[in-house]
Amino acid sequence: MTAAERRPALPDGLRDRVLAASLLARAAGRTEPAAAQITPAEAFSRAADALYGMLGALQEEDWGRPALRGLDVQGLVGHLTGVEEDVHRCLAGDPQVARASHVESTQAAADRQAGRSPVQTRAEWRRAADRTLDLVDAVGDADAAVAVHDMRLSLGMLLVIRAFELWIHENDIRQAAGLPPSVPDPSTLSLMTQAAAQFLPHAAAREGLREPTSVHLVLTGPGGGTWDIPVGHSGPAPASVGIVADAVEFCRLVANRAAPGGLDLHITGDPDRAAMVLAAASTLALD
Amino acid sequence: MLAARLAAGDDRALAEVFDRLAPVVYSGALRVLGHDAAAQDVVQDVFVELWSHPGRYDPEAGSLRTYLTMQARHRAVDLVRSEMRRAARQERNGRLDPGQPGPSAYEQVMASEAAAAVRAAVEKLPESQRRMIELAYFKGLTCREAAKAAGIPEGTAKSRLRLALAKLETVLDRQLLGSS
Repeated sequence: MTAAERRPALPDGLRDRVLAASLLARAAGRTEPAAAQITPAEAFSRAADALYGMLGALQEEDWGRPALRGLDVQGLVGHLTGVEEDVHRCLAGDPQVARASHVESTQAAADRQAGRSPVQTRAEWRRAADRTLDLVDAVGDADAAVAVHDMRLSLGMLLVIRAFELWIHENDIRQAAGLPPSVPDPSTLSLMTQAAAQFLPHAAAREGLREPTSVHLVLTGPGGGTWDIPVGHSGPAPASVGIVADAVEFCRLVANRAAPGGLDLHITGDPDRAAMVLAAASTLALD
Repeated sequence: MLAARLAAGDDRALAEVFDRLAPVVYSGALRVLGHDAAAQDVVQDVFVELWSHPGRYDPEAGSLRTYLTMQARHRAVDLVRSEMRRAARQERNGRLDPGQPGPSAYEQVMASEAAAAVRAAVEKLPESQRRMIELAYFKGLTCREAAKAAGIPEGTAKSRLRLALAKLETVLDRQLLGSS
């Protein structure tokens, strides 16, 4: 007789009672320890400060290194200035910016950096980012609906996505300059992972995932969390797919800076369905 | 991975841990306490604690199984200690009532693995103290009756009983925790 066979059976109802008591003490989905809550504007401000600090530490020659999409570091910072300027137009009520392309619309701002000093480029972007914060403060309503670069969303969500973009481009530049990658603080990362989870059904639908699927997404580490996300068409018995990934790595996947194959993933359920979900997640990037 | 999933609020991870380790936690608690309801309470306390504060488990320090069984042991022994204290308080107040119907928590504890540890500890007590424990607890006499049976003043009997219970608590801790 094995040790397990000698053990008394668990009393009826104990499992349900213990799990219920546990979830009463701490709701499912919440990280422990929980990240301190911050506003989307604060997340954007922190991401801007991180980028600004990193840019200040670059050497002169780093600004000319290739960074992304044919842009060098200086051009990429110019792109970010262009994004801020489009956000300014959006907040000023310019309807044309709603349909503008994130890349094409900002190309002029990237191009105009040619011949400027890095100090000028960095200062121009910082002024633009500060202006964004001033305009957001003037609006004063994170729930206000805004439309920019083919996105219709709340102002708060726009700021989280902007914080996400600043962090990703900060790391594009770090990579170009041979610097180690950075990780957002848990509070900022928490807003980013929430945004990624929220947009997953949209991305899955856009990528043609039709079958009813319930995604149990677990993002580990500070700023992570757990979500049960319905994707595809609604149905009576959706297939269940479990995806466990590191929160930072998953954000890199969402930003199209990491491939699913490069992540340390723990998948349960239909692996093909999980692969479709992950592929869809990587299309959320603005670039 | 399980610890990280618990920290991330993954309720499926909690269910997995329960299904895998609750039987060993429960049986360990039952061995010490000898009382099903008390053992179930220990299981609940241990899992609620794990879920509420997953960071207190350090995977570097050992397996989750070891951590949970140690937690269960500690809580079970705490219950035994608490019952010893309760018995001591009753004794001091002269309200021991051996005629109570049904098994008391103390008697339930005595029917468990803890009983063997307690009896072994009692054997090591000085003769005068061991005699008082036997009269008051194993024979169920009141303090006054125990004093009369031993031929000593009631105050002396109470004093010996207090000393004996304090020693038993210490020995019990050492034996039960040391065996886990």
